[in-house]
Amino acid sequence: MNTMNDYVGPGDFKPIDLLAVAAAREVRDGDIVFAGTGLPMLAIALAQLTTAPNAVCIYEAGSVDGRPISIPTSVGDARCSYQAAIASGTFDVTNQLQRGVVDLAFLGGAEIDRYGNVNTTAIGRYGLIPQKRLPGGGGNSDINSLARRTVFTMVQEKRRFKENVDFITSPGWRIPKWPGGEMVPKAEVYNKAMRGGPSAVISDMGVFYFDADGEMYLDTVHPGFTPEQVRDNCSFDLNISRVKGETLPPTRHELELLYKTIDPEGIFLP
Amino acid sequence: MAKPQIISLQEAVALIPDGACITFSGFTIWRRPMAAVYEMIRQGKRNLHLAELGGGTHSELLIGAGCVKIWESSWMGHEMYGKMGANLARKAERGEIIIEDYSLMHMLARLTAGSMGLPYMPSYASMGTDILNPAYDNLGQLGLRDGSNPKIPNKKYEIVRDNFYDSELLHLPAVNPDWCIAAVQTVGEEGTVRISGQVYVDSEATKASDKVIVLAENIVPEEYLRREPTQNHIPGYQIDYIVDMPWAAHPTGSFGHYETDGAFIGELYQASRRQETMDQWLREWVYDIPDHAAYLDKLGVARLEALRANPVLGYSNRVKRGTRA
Repeated sequence: MNTMNDYVGPGDFKPIDLLAVAAAREVRDGDIVFAGTGLPMLAIALAQLTTAPNAVCIYEAGSVDGRPISIPTSVGDARCSYQAAIASGTFDVTNQLQRGVVDLAFLGGAEIDRYGNVNTTAIGRYGLIPQKRLPGGGGNSDINSLARRTVFTMVQEKRRFKENVDFITSPGWRIPKWPGGEMVPKAEVYNKAMRGGPSAVISDMGVFYFDADGEMYLDTVHPGFTPEQVRDNCSFDLNISRVKGETLPPTRHELELLYKTIDPEGIFLP
Repeated sequence: MAKPQIISLQEAVALIPDGACITFSGFTIWRRPMAAVYEMIRQGKRNLHLAELGGGTHSELLIGAGCVKIWESSWMGHEMYGKMGANLARKAERGEIIIEDYSLMHMLARLTAGSMGLPYMPSYASMGTDILNPAYDNLGQLGLRDGSNPKIPNKKYEIVRDNFYDSELLHLPAVNPDWCIAAVQTVGEEGTVRISGQVYVDSEATKASDKVIVLAENIVPEEYLRREPTQNHIPGYQIDYIVDMPWAAHPTGSFGHYETDGAFIGELYQASRRQETMDQWLREWVYDIPDHAAYLDKLGVARLEALRANPVLGYSNRVKRGTRA
């Protein structure tokens, strides 16, 4: 299909378009996917319309393989279960997650460290009186901890890509083992339920993967940025030695699907 | 078998004492028992202990109105209509509320154990996170795990050796709230509950709780629901009180009945960012309004009609949601 290679030039797409497209490209055909609200909904819908028609989407509120004709604005939305295989509840779908059925999770976060530990709970001091309270983990930590692969979408800022996140809400590849809290590889904590972990991070500047030691490295840099610029927007010393080149921009076909078919109302793509 | 009583909203809410442990139906901004939340605020409930899967517009309002002392849950916000729980954040940062953080699956395990009559539920979810940091057990830090409150377990969680299959995992303590307040679509005259669309955590939340109040969009002949028992979710003997309450969940949505009122929630969220504006909002939409009928009058027919679900789709295709048509 020649439309698939019809890449648009710099200036012809917005940062969020590339985030959605790059995230969609992480879906493998046939994946069972757990998606959160917002960008993940765009990504899974785009993947299903392009390279992963057999991917299945599950929402934590309890819809399994819905085929919405109008994009949901939250995972509890009535639209989630339109043409679904099953409309059940949180118990059913999180049991599937714990059973090991889920291949891919699409999630977001406020802060991330080099091992993919993500914070969505509080900035600064935690404790009885927190310095700055955030929404909390919700299902983010559960979905990420029990899926085979997780893709996080993040805003690229020094204060968000941190040496140490202020609160580990969602577990990366090196995590605290309680009650002592010593940092150990994830497998030492998860035992029989070890399935995988964060596989990719997609920011508005680049796409990151994790190496065999569970450390983040820059894989591709988005058009218009240099690897050094991305590293300068990380608080930790980002590995940029493995950069393959530029992230492929959206194709005209992908943009048309996003704006005309998936989000024609301009909800997530205003 | 005791049949549930059909009573007024004011009567139902008056049964809930200060300090009660409460859980709710719904998920974030869907099918929350808002009419009961407004009435709880009007009746001036204090020191409530909320134990819920996740928060949403309902618990944010209760917290903003000063009704809540302890919030045990996993998340707070209004989805895309309000990126965080501004009331929860402000009260927490001022030391005016106790937060006990769990993950969604932890709270689900707690409610499920409660619904099964078991003391705890094992889980692998969210291990190796700061949710389990012993220093962050806020109820424990405050000495509230001393057994004096039967709704607060002696420990936040345990990490336990699995001797059957040679592993290690969490045990999460059951929670049996005093009350579950649920907004559902259809209730039979004898209390049988039929939920449409996603069921969220409603079965576990109602069955874990000591007493259950359901707000019904419609009360229907029991015989109608018993024609298709596979479509039903909760038997009448597990319900204590029924309130006949159309639009009970507004501004949150109800599958098959109405859409989430995003514009309304967005304005509520903006007001919630300061206590003064929150108080003004509460005066306008709660304290100065005698009951739910007056609330619906104030919203107006045109607004409600735009939110009304298309009966074929289960949601409204008239409401404006984005920046384009």
